[in-house]
Amino acid sequence: MKAHGINAASITYDAGEVLSAFTEAYKIEYPMLSDVGSKVIRDFDILNTNIPPDHKMLYGIPWPGEYLIAPDRTVRDKLFLPSYEHRASATEVIFRNYGADAGGNAVEIKTGVLDATVALSTDRAFPGHELGVALDIRLKPGWHIYGKPLPSSYRATELVFEGDLVDELTIELPAAKPMLLKALGETLPVYADRVQALGKLGIKWSPPMPAPFLLALGKPIAPGAHKISGALRFQACSDTVCEPPEEIRFELPLTIEQGVPPAPKPG
Amino acid sequence: MDAQTKATVLHDIVGKMGAGGAGITTASWLEFVEAQNDGFQTGPAIGAKVPDFTLPDQHGVRRSFRELTGPNGLLLVFSRSAGW
Repeated sequence: MKAHGINAASITYDAGEVLSAFTEAYKIEYPMLSDVGSKVIRDFDILNTNIPPDHKMLYGIPWPGEYLIAPDRTVRDKLFLPSYEHRASATEVIFRNYGADAGGNAVEIKTGVLDATVALSTDRAFPGHELGVALDIRLKPGWHIYGKPLPSSYRATELVFEGDLVDELTIELPAAKPMLLKALGETLPVYADRVQALGKLGIKWSPPMPAPFLLALGKPIAPGAHKISGALRFQACSDTVCEPPEEIRFELPLTIEQGVPPAPKPG
Repeated sequence: MDAQTKATVLHDIVGKMGAGGAGITTASWLEFVEAQNDGFQTGPAIGAKVPDFTLPDQHGVRRSFRELTGPNGLLLVFSRSAGW
């Protein structure tokens, strides 16, 4: 984020002593702002109004989320997820705004007809995190690949992620251009030159503590080094030849962070 | 879910969690999550301006938006709590 001239800060309703205990316990380097009484949370219109005012512990919390705000205070982007389990990764919002060049965790695919880069916004995540995904396909001259809708005899271009860590991938490729393919006598949606798309990948949630009521909602995921596997599927054709459908498999490393206990109580 | 039900669910589950979690079922936990997130709002729209603010940080230093932002902006994260 620093490389892009973006600073980070957090806001909670906690007292300064709670924030300084958290800062010390987790070596926090960004400003953690104390909004006791939740005035700023109200000014942003994100006070959680489901909480009854007589609830001593919860009253004053926001609906949690994050904003990318320009220096003139205009909202450039925001991410809010309505659950406890799934949370946006800060890297996702940077990725959405700066693309794969924002760094992260990338794999290169090279074939006779195309080069492609598949990138995740980070190589570290907590269970339940939502990560940014970037796809960048560069086709060699004279070749095209297919978009949708497509007759079932051809394979449309598709990115997939698989495995125990993968919850859901949302990525939409740009609209493909209809092209009259003389050799086939058909007009089909195709991509030529370059295809770029940004999306998001949900990592499966796992219970942060061994509470029986949570175990029914997600399998435990061991902290440490994991691999996310995936595939790029496509079918390449030129004006004269059509290659068979291809599936290029790849792996990206992802370290699952150890869940942390709450910071010690101040005092 | 009406306001009274939400209040009952929130008080009940937080009370049980404080007592070690006994008696919480998966169904009641999901009800708790729903009671908390029902009709959630996300604040200023993309393209709109956020309100200006100045708040003390964890070291007791008052910080304004103008001072917090980098040359290209600020990633501002609102969390429930750093204390629980």
